[in-house]
Amino acid sequence: MTDLENLWDDYPVGKAPTGAILAAATKGQQHRRRIVVRPLLTAAAVTGLAGAFLTGMLVDDGSGGGGNPPGAEALPSHVAFQADLEPAKNCDDLLETYINRALDLVGPYGWGGGGPIYYAEDGVQLGGLDRLSGTLTDGTGAMRRDYKSLNSAARIPQTSRQESSETGTNVQEMAVDEPDTAKTDGKILTLVRDDALVVYDVTGSSTKKLGRIGLPGLENAEILLSGDTVVAIGADDDAEDRPSDEYGYGYVQPTGTRVLTISLADPAKPKVTHDVTYDSGLSSARQHGSTIRLVLSSGLPDFDFVEPGGKRSDNKARKHNRKLVKDSKIEDWLPTITTDDKSQQLLDCTNVAIPSDDLALDTTSVVGFDAESPDKVDAIGLAGQTGIAYESADHLYLATGGGWGGPMDRCFDECMGSRIRGTTSGSSYLFDFELDGKQATHVASGEVEGAIRDRWSIDEADGVLRLAVGPTQETGNFNSIVTFQRDGEDLVEHGRLDNLGRNEEIKSMRWFDGLAIMVTFRNVDPLYAIDLSDTAKPKLLGKLKIPGFSSYLHPLGPNRMIGVGEGPNGKRGWGAQIALFNVRDVTNVRRMDVHNYDANTVARAGMDPRAFTWLPDERVALTVLEKYTSRRIGYVSVVRVKDGKLHERLQQVEYGDDVDDVRALPMPDGRVVLVTGEDAQFFEL
Amino acid sequence: MDPETEAVYADYVEQSWPTLVRAAIFLGARPHEAEDLAQTTLVRCYTGWERVNSADNREAYVYRMLLNCLRDTRRTRWWKDRQYDDPRSLERSDRAVGGDSAERLAVADAVQRALGTLTKPNRDVVVLRYFVQLTEKQTAEALGIPPGTVKSRLSRALAHLASNDHLLDLSGGTKK
Repeated sequence: MTDLENLWDDYPVGKAPTGAILAAATKGQQHRRRIVVRPLLTAAAVTGLAGAFLTGMLVDDGSGGGGNPPGAEALPSHVAFQADLEPAKNCDDLLETYINRALDLVGPYGWGGGGPIYYAEDGVQLGGLDRLSGTLTDGTGAMRRDYKSLNSAARIPQTSRQESSETGTNVQEMAVDEPDTAKTDGKILTLVRDDALVVYDVTGSSTKKLGRIGLPGLENAEILLSGDTVVAIGADDDAEDRPSDEYGYGYVQPTGTRVLTISLADPAKPKVTHDVTYDSGLSSARQHGSTIRLVLSSGLPDFDFVEPGGKRSDNKARKHNRKLVKDSKIEDWLPTITTDDKSQQLLDCTNVAIPSDDLALDTTSVVGFDAESPDKVDAIGLAGQTGIAYESADHLYLATGGGWGGPMDRCFDECMGSRIRGTTSGSSYLFDFELDGKQATHVASGEVEGAIRDRWSIDEADGVLRLAVGPTQETGNFNSIVTFQRDGEDLVEHGRLDNLGRNEEIKSMRWFDGLAIMVTFRNVDPLYAIDLSDTAKPKLLGKLKIPGFSSYLHPLGPNRMIGVGEGPNGKRGWGAQIALFNVRDVTNVRRMDVHNYDANTVARAGMDPRAFTWLPDERVALTVLEKYTSRRIGYVSVVRVKDGKLHERLQQVEYGDDVDDVRALPMPDGRVVLVTGEDAQFFEL
Repeated sequence: MDPETEAVYADYVEQSWPTLVRAAIFLGARPHEAEDLAQTTLVRCYTGWERVNSADNREAYVYRMLLNCLRDTRRTRWWKDRQYDDPRSLERSDRAVGGDSAERLAVADAVQRALGTLTKPNRDVVVLRYFVQLTEKQTAEALGIPPGTVKSRLSRALAHLASNDHLLDLSGGTKK
């Protein structure tokens, strides 16, 4: 180490170019623009929003109220909130709650009362696009629903095979598709490259490029495929950066979401059919059949806040800023949807629920639409921040990420961000929505002490909600599995298993019908198998300790599971690792084989499960690795599972940031297309 | 910005410059790149400086900016295609100062050999926590991870480095 310390001291730095820096800095300072969204509300815009509501009108007629229009009893009624969440009675009511909660948060510098703001980074994830959020997440596995275990006579629960979705993406729930940068239906393959959509014919012996279309105004696009329609979703390139984001660590959070639909009726001539934008950031996007569901997070509005300085004291600045908040209008708070250049309020005031004060102030919107008509949406909202969205076949669960979840240090009163980010209470809040086509209805709420890390920590099976929960100041310093059942409007705790991974961090989860597998890590990797066949009494079945850890678990069937992660490579280095586990008897999980990669390597599947593909017929896993030297190099590792052993071969495929987009898509005919930054080609196993 | 605040900012620039440049090198930037990054980071800190400066986690903010700058540069095609080790491009540089530039290259290379064996997350932690000497809390904030993860990544990284052979190339001496 002292060698490195000497290198640090010896590096000849030279004088700071202060003059040049000052010159560049003052030149760059622009006058901040006021960004307040004032939607164009016209009667004609009513056609943009479908769905029926119990009370209230779709268009604010300027009176500020949302009273019953004449003949309301004749309207079909859908009550969007059927549990404890109270929807606002009218727009004035809703505005008042926003203002009251916001006044607690305003200080002399604007939001936050003095320190930098931490926006909901966890919430801004688009499938695996975790780079948008800037936080490092270890994405891990969850459940499959449709595969019925043949071994129903077994009394010990078993793992079962996880497969890619029909469009070739390695998803959390097989009935629920997720966006990705490449999709296929077996006949065509379509992918996003350099802000354009490219279409290939994959029926021949080699891939053939058919057509291409630019995706205007769309940044970091990912796509969903429904029949002939591609739904491209990403950040709205045209949305202005919010000035307040400059205080958020220099990372500018996307403030707008754009949905473009492209028709592939003639795959050689793709055509943009719809262009819809929202002035909110995207939390998640999912597909059930032909229904697309988005969860959006608006953040706090941008008022023209002032700062203390010159003649303005702290107090004067605070007063000024508070007045701005007090004078705000409902349009400042609620998100806007724009179709064909016509903007309107996305949410009807009476369809926005007001949660408890424990949630950070924000507006979360749940939006449903049919893939071919993104302009006709069904939307409800929640006046609070939920960072996590998990969807099963017919339920959406929104959860707040509570506390820090770090095993070593618990967060006490001076938690970062306090009421601006997540919750301070050390508890996580859950909201259960039933899904029916485009519609979402809130049916139950619950609460659990501890931190829910991300969507992989949540799973629903047979009406029982299962959670993997990490520690906060409200819990002991360990992890737990907690199950919930819905009792009317409440999600009630049904069963619990504590003391998993004391002082350790949850690294990955896999859920099955009667079983959960949890990997925690501090120095060694205990892999816990938890019996969930009786969800009222989760039981620890077995524990396996090995060096290194798996951050992504992929079950191959009832007997075998692959773990991809990191570990010591036996040559005094630390790098990526892939292991084969025997899970036939989950009370006695054994590691059958392990393959260690070079010391510089990282397995991308740990951060993005879409970087892993299992081909059940060939018994081959394809997983993307990266190596950091002076540049970043990407590889595909072809791992054959045979006779209880892993046979591995490595192929270099990409470098730089394009490594994030390397995908191996399985075709229905058993072939594989390898998508890289440059190309899409059939891949020889 | 009023002159007084600007003076405070200028002071900060002078004082933080060496550590920022070194941090950039240790995070994997080439000598040229490191100075560009430090400069861009400081320029970006200028906006909202009063508030940044008065916050407890000013350092976390600044280093987070540095990491973002590094990441953004790495994203561009330009970076992918650029020949970093091409001596001719370095000669053309107007910033190299005589013999120092050779020394910078040598140190940067040695650092790369040593730290390049770490995974990026571990490398980020060891550079910020061990070399820049941010506190655990500041490191956690800069990286957006829980403090516990800082501890575990740091110990892993240090253990790994302690047993690393590559440094022998530069020190030419015996392993300690």
